[in-house]
Amino acid sequence: MKPRACLLRAEGTNCDVETFYALELAGADPRMVHVNELRARSQRLRDYQLLVIPGGFTYGDDVAAGKILAVELISFLREEISEFVAAGKPVLGICNGFQVLVRTGLLPFREAGRVRAALIPNRSGRFECRWVRLRVEETPCVFTRGLAGRVIEMPVAHAEGRFYAPPPVMEELETRRQVVFRYVDGAGAPTAEYPANPNGSEAAVAGICDAAGTILGLMPHPERYVRPVQHPNWRRLGISGEGHGLAVFRNAVAYAAGL
Amino acid sequence: MIQEVRVAWREGFPDPQGEGLRAEMMRSLGIEGVARVRTVKVYRFEGITEGEADYLARALLCEDIYQEYTLNRPLIRDADWLVEVAYKPGVMNPEATSLVKAARDLGITGLVAADSGHEYAFYGTLSFEERRLVLDRLLVNPTVQRVVTARPATLVIEGEPGPVEIIPLREMTDDELLALSRDRLFLDLEELKTIQRHFRRLGRDPTDCEIEVLAQTWSEHCVHKTFKARLEVNGEPKVPLLERIRRASEEAAHPLVLSAFEDNSGVIEFYEGWAVCGKVETHNAPSAIEPYGGAATGSGGVFRDVMGTGQGARVIASTDMFCFAPPDLPWEEVPPGCLHPVYLLRRVVAGVRDYGNRMGVPTNNGSVHFHRDFRAKPTVIVGAYGLLPAKKAIRGRPKPKDLAVVVGGRTGRDGLHGATFSSAHMTASTIEVHAQAVQIGHPIEEKRTSDALLAARDEGLVRAITDCGAGGFSSAAGEMGAEVGVHLYLDRVPLKYTGLAPWEILLSESQERMLVAVAPENAARLVEICRAHNVEATVIGEFTGNKRFTASYGSRKVLDLDMGFLHQGRPRRTCKACWEPEEVPEDPIPPLEDLPSVLRAVMGHWNVCSKEPIVRMYDHGVQGALALPPFGGVTHAGPNDAVVLTPLLGRPYGLVIAHGLNPILMRLDPYAGALWACAEAVSNAVAAGADPAELVLIDNFIWPVPDERYLGALDLAVDACVDFVRATGMPFVSGKDSLSSTYLGPDGTRIDIPPVLCISAFGRIPDVARTVSADLKGPGHLLVLVGWRRPPEMAGSVYLELHGASSRQVPRVDPLRLVEVWRAVHRAIRAGAVLAAHDVSHGGPAAAVAEMCLGGALGAEVVVPDGEDAGPYLFNETAGNFVLELAPGADPAALFGGVPWRVLGHTVDGPVLTFRLGERRERVPLADLEAAWRRPMREVFGP
Repeated sequence: MKPRACLLRAEGTNCDVETFYALELAGADPRMVHVNELRARSQRLRDYQLLVIPGGFTYGDDVAAGKILAVELISFLREEISEFVAAGKPVLGICNGFQVLVRTGLLPFREAGRVRAALIPNRSGRFECRWVRLRVEETPCVFTRGLAGRVIEMPVAHAEGRFYAPPPVMEELETRRQVVFRYVDGAGAPTAEYPANPNGSEAAVAGICDAAGTILGLMPHPERYVRPVQHPNWRRLGISGEGHGLAVFRNAVAYAAGL
Repeated sequence: MIQEVRVAWREGFPDPQGEGLRAEMMRSLGIEGVARVRTVKVYRFEGITEGEADYLARALLCEDIYQEYTLNRPLIRDADWLVEVAYKPGVMNPEATSLVKAARDLGITGLVAADSGHEYAFYGTLSFEERRLVLDRLLVNPTVQRVVTARPATLVIEGEPGPVEIIPLREMTDDELLALSRDRLFLDLEELKTIQRHFRRLGRDPTDCEIEVLAQTWSEHCVHKTFKARLEVNGEPKVPLLERIRRASEEAAHPLVLSAFEDNSGVIEFYEGWAVCGKVETHNAPSAIEPYGGAATGSGGVFRDVMGTGQGARVIASTDMFCFAPPDLPWEEVPPGCLHPVYLLRRVVAGVRDYGNRMGVPTNNGSVHFHRDFRAKPTVIVGAYGLLPAKKAIRGRPKPKDLAVVVGGRTGRDGLHGATFSSAHMTASTIEVHAQAVQIGHPIEEKRTSDALLAARDEGLVRAITDCGAGGFSSAAGEMGAEVGVHLYLDRVPLKYTGLAPWEILLSESQERMLVAVAPENAARLVEICRAHNVEATVIGEFTGNKRFTASYGSRKVLDLDMGFLHQGRPRRTCKACWEPEEVPEDPIPPLEDLPSVLRAVMGHWNVCSKEPIVRMYDHGVQGALALPPFGGVTHAGPNDAVVLTPLLGRPYGLVIAHGLNPILMRLDPYAGALWACAEAVSNAVAAGADPAELVLIDNFIWPVPDERYLGALDLAVDACVDFVRATGMPFVSGKDSLSSTYLGPDGTRIDIPPVLCISAFGRIPDVARTVSADLKGPGHLLVLVGWRRPPEMAGSVYLELHGASSRQVPRVDPLRLVEVWRAVHRAIRAGAVLAAHDVSHGGPAAAVAEMCLGGALGAEVVVPDGEDAGPYLFNETAGNFVLELAPGADPAALFGGVPWRVLGHTVDGPVLTFRLGERRERVPLADLEAAWRRPMREVFGP
């Protein structure tokens, strides 16, 4: 049976269509679920095996990107989400979804309601839409099984993607191997240089997971590179087969199916 | 009491907004004395306690790992100058609704109103004069913003609605009629007298609602008087402009067209039961006085045109085409009442960026053109494209008893007189008089409205749909109900604040509102779907069957107009047109002397330089459909000619979008310039792999107020469009004109903005695998130039401009011959014989080759044949020419036998572009060209 994926929407969610497609392509049975449906209990998280919070500008990025939805989730769905996470079901937050996960406190340490890290305005001071190279690190993350050590490509599109955590938190993330993706330069080395590191993230962090590896948040958009023609240079590079982002969804589906 | 929370970055964190402001102060104002700028966000709440505000600060407003806050006291005390800027009361701050929502989610129920603003703290010495410059030029747009000097007493706006006024029109003299028109109605005397006669016959005077509805419906913006007028050209009668374009397009009988000039956008068939639609609009007047809000609401408006097509479409792409004065225009040359081009460009881009990005619509095709004569008013063109089921692609018609439902945002005093205002000249006093004509967009409102309406469409609930744009309900309901009649209950319209008079409710141009006609039995379900998306939907009227436009406010009838008079009663104008070309000296074409420095100058010219910094701020990849991006190649810096999307994810079908415009040529020769624009739009699409047989067109005429001469120019441009349609079989499916690009200064100076014809082309491609990009793919490949051109036709070219020369020899395009070129290029691309293709435009073939090299990180060797004049050979800008990189073994003679082609040279390894001119070899390092090409926009937007 295909695992059921809850694709969470709210006002201003806008990467839902392509994320839905990526989930379908990866073998999930996705459904768009509005946060109002969860609040009204007409949809229950427990009926799903996978939760995906897609990109967008929920509530206009007002106050801080993802903040208003994070407050809403913590205020009304804290228990359902905690239960979902505690059951080991995978949670994926992309771009705005990553911002939401960090602002709920689910990342990095599964502490609902406690903000331990932040995605702050880009060092360049502006929105950046460009392709980046990412190194997949050796981590417990279930979304990147079989990918560790590879350098993959995806686009970013955000104005608030600079990962920041206070030094002790940063240290803990490194010790527990929670940094899943890092921005790298042409030689494959993590970089602070713009634009290879498009936002000035600490330690070139592009995505992190929780200690168990079932919650993943990343700024780049894996759903925008699941098919070869989505790559800006598929013609010159003769790309065929799958886009690099699809593996993330396939891993999520495989893991959810095994629960 | 108002509670104030101030939030700022903790010490030690960089403040990008403050740093950006400091850099901008140095760059554009030359102010060096400031060592640091800090920014503070100021939130204000009404109706809650200090304790609750403190809770909000901790739970919502401030994340203490990198921010700090204060409650009801200043956060920064050590700055040399501290100033707060906020929206004016009445200008809707989009953030306010989110603040109220989040507070409620946190259990705070007493919040009545919220607002926010920004404080700027400057460290360093600033003279009084410098402070004034920073405020006037960088921080405060007085149209919508103000400096906050004290805590406001309240954030709530309210008032009593004004009474309905009866206008004593029947007794007015001509002078009184004109006085009424001048700042309110913008109608001419003949129109006013027609209205006067109408009410004399009725035996009563009109209400303010009636006179406003008539003025709006008859405004140039809404009814296109000039385009529909009887014409006399050089004394001879001629078919009206609009009719010419429509008739030629109809006669083309293009098999893909589903709906043309019928609906809010033009619709063509796509694949597998789907259709795509396109619409392009201008938003010049609002953008000239408040570029951020003007451009944002321009995007919002054109998106709603797509949302309001058929029974509703999903917006899948956006385009933006701008014309400004060059960014290096000295401040003293900015006309009184106008804004500097750097400010305009940055703020217009920000407006398009924020609306498109937040709405989740990729902005992925566009261009920016610069010419001194745009200093009085920019041209801001925004397009939108949509996807909808072919079965729901035809404009719906309400039936009697259907209900009129407003969906989306609330109605406020926004944009009143926007429709009539954009038809008036721009004057030095425009900024003051029409301040309320601009507003800030709310893209999230529009996005959730779109989500709700698409769900309603899929359930078959939508009979007809249109957007509330210029003219508000007056226009939306007046047009939707034109055939059956409609009654509106104005007191049921949800308002942003109390105090709106009935005529204001009717005319308000508040954004993000759609009007839907729904069968009575479906209304409840529509409202339910909207509620599930947090969207307000309210029944505000019904379609009647009496063919009248009526409205009531409570028990009072405030509007009762016959639809026939409203829509057909306007006296038709007769306009005279007579074109006379400008006096332009005919200089000899300057010889090409120092090729490397000329090529660097061409690449660094405002109209050639890379616009990548703009594109990188647009989310051009959202929706995951991008199959040919605006920029690609080895370092993602090579520009492509068109965008190709795969809106049905996973399917091979492409939607191609491209455009062309050339204001400089339009002024020299409107006929040739218009053909150039048409040819350029289509050639851009063909260069990407489009089949010319599967493309359609959209026109946008942006013209000075048409006196005889400019109307003559317009007549010629329209003729060119018609000739183009007849020669190519490509129809227009949508179009718009904006005939107000004239500026009148306080001292009587008149500036005519160059006439602009923007042609957009869109169409379908069966398989995106058969498309090409512009970046060179490998060394040792032939570069050929395909197309018709006469090299000495150099008028309007960058080459001539850089040499300070002028000419009347404009590049002439023959559309019949061009069709053969397109077919040949398309055949070659489809056959896989073309590895890279780039259309020749500003900068000529030399610039095209250079851009292809930069994209592919490869060099090229270009040979100028003996006997050719190198300047025109390399820099001629005739549209409809292509530089193609051929696959090894491809034979140009076999591919392009029937049309002119020649070998330009070949590609080589190594970062050098080499030119062979007889014995001479000129080597130009690509790095030099790239630096020159990237510099101009980096200077405007930062590195």
